[in-house]
Amino acid sequence: MTAVLAFYAASWVLAGVDLEKLATGLPKLWYWIAQAWPPKWDEMPLFLLRMAETVAMAAIGTTVAVVLALPMSLLASRNITPFPRLYVPVRWFLNALRGVDSFVFALLFVAAVGLGPFAGVIGIALHTWGSAAKFFADHLENVNLAPLEAVRTSGAGRFTAILYAIVPDVLPVFASTGLFWWEFNIRASTVLGVVGAGGIGQELKNSMDLLDFSRLFTIIALILVVVTALDQLSSWLRRKLV
Amino acid sequence: MSSFLAPGTRVCPAGLDPEPPRSVPRLSVRAVGKFFGMHEALHAITFDVRERELVALLGPSGAGKTTLFRCITGLLKPDTGAVHVAGLDVGQLRGRQRRHIAVVFQQFNLVSRLSAIDNVLAGRLGHVSAWRGWSRQFSPADRLLALECLDRVGVLALARQRADTLSGGQQQRVAIARALAQQPDIIIADEPIASLDPNSSAEIMELLRGICHADGVSVVCSLHQLHLATAYADRLIGLANGKLVADLPASRFDDAVAAQVYGGEREAPTPPSASPRHPSPGSPR
Repeated sequence: MTAVLAFYAASWVLAGVDLEKLATGLPKLWYWIAQAWPPKWDEMPLFLLRMAETVAMAAIGTTVAVVLALPMSLLASRNITPFPRLYVPVRWFLNALRGVDSFVFALLFVAAVGLGPFAGVIGIALHTWGSAAKFFADHLENVNLAPLEAVRTSGAGRFTAILYAIVPDVLPVFASTGLFWWEFNIRASTVLGVVGAGGIGQELKNSMDLLDFSRLFTIIALILVVVTALDQLSSWLRRKLV
Repeated sequence: MSSFLAPGTRVCPAGLDPEPPRSVPRLSVRAVGKFFGMHEALHAITFDVRERELVALLGPSGAGKTTLFRCITGLLKPDTGAVHVAGLDVGQLRGRQRRHIAVVFQQFNLVSRLSAIDNVLAGRLGHVSAWRGWSRQFSPADRLLALECLDRVGVLALARQRADTLSGGQQQRVAIARALAQQPDIIIADEPIASLDPNSSAEIMELLRGICHADGVSVVCSLHQLHLATAYADRLIGLANGKLVADLPASRFDDAVAAQVYGGEREAPTPPSASPRHPSPGSPR
């Protein structure tokens, strides 16, 4: 109990929680919001382009990640892997990918491949690869193996049997989770532009740097509208899948 | 016989077996023994199963029935002796050669989200090239064969239904159709009716006997219900404590033999369906 209290006390100090600052800061925020009206419509085509860039980055990154995660998840499931020796290294590799946020990967790859959305795509793909493969593998480890055994006795090879007996059962769940990650990555990648990895985040940062609050809030409103719409679309698709 | 079936096809349609009887027994079990640590699970088991013969394997739980089946299907390597199916050493069977032995399970083990016909087509995977299995694209001949197998077990009308929407009896019929589509030499049925109600149980046994006698596929079937064993099997084999204690025609089975197999118990244990060994997501609701 004392340990928990000490933990929170230390965290409070380390996190620099200062309610006084919040009290003086909030009115500033109100002043900015007051300046936000009317929205900036003239730059809308640019914002829409950047937003489309963000959605595209998330789509490509998530798709690449899921495609890479499928074979990896077979190696990372104790009950299915054809190479049990690789189980632990693969799990470590996936944990490493998962442990580093797409934002951090993007930061690194902006340095490597230059400014622009491609760095963001790589960032999203690497982080989501780890998360997706771990989720798929955890799901596979709980799958009913009896049909696999049955299909194997008919003379099917190991890989054929997995595709025939396991994949049909897990595919709807995997597809649904893939959509969920796409949705999640759209939200996550709105900020990737801050490190120069393309998308709407770039304009967000520019507006903040220029203290152009009406521009800033126009962008935030656009993000909210697009993210909400795609969330709805994605959850509708997922309901159809499962 | 339909021309699209491969030569040597023994299954469906019923009663038109083109193959002459062979001298080699379909299944030959020779002095099979198996140890688990210090425990002798099987001791020098020897018996043959001929063509068109349905053999029921009896014995109390723990007698070694499952171990024997796993040795017959090649899932387990016996410590002594050998198992041959149609002259082939089961210990040497690799990959698609396993299609010679079909297995019917207590819990049916169908792929729950696939249709009945796709489940039956799984029986063709040991015959066709791998890409057909990966893409689930089978030739018209294979699909016709699958439909014939479904017809043979009486569920042709359910071909397009998803397996998990079928009742237990229907699922077991589909599983038997899958075994038939394999065009095996022998069907090993591991307590195929333990999860079914009495009516479905009798129907499934009737079906297995018909397939065995008319289509020429030998069947070895482990059972707990003595009255079904004597009614449907040609021969009974009794296991007790890992030893073969009875091997006789079904007509000669009597209480004395039952006592030999089940020890002091007069009758077989009550149907074990009340306690299935594995919970199955695809079990009937």
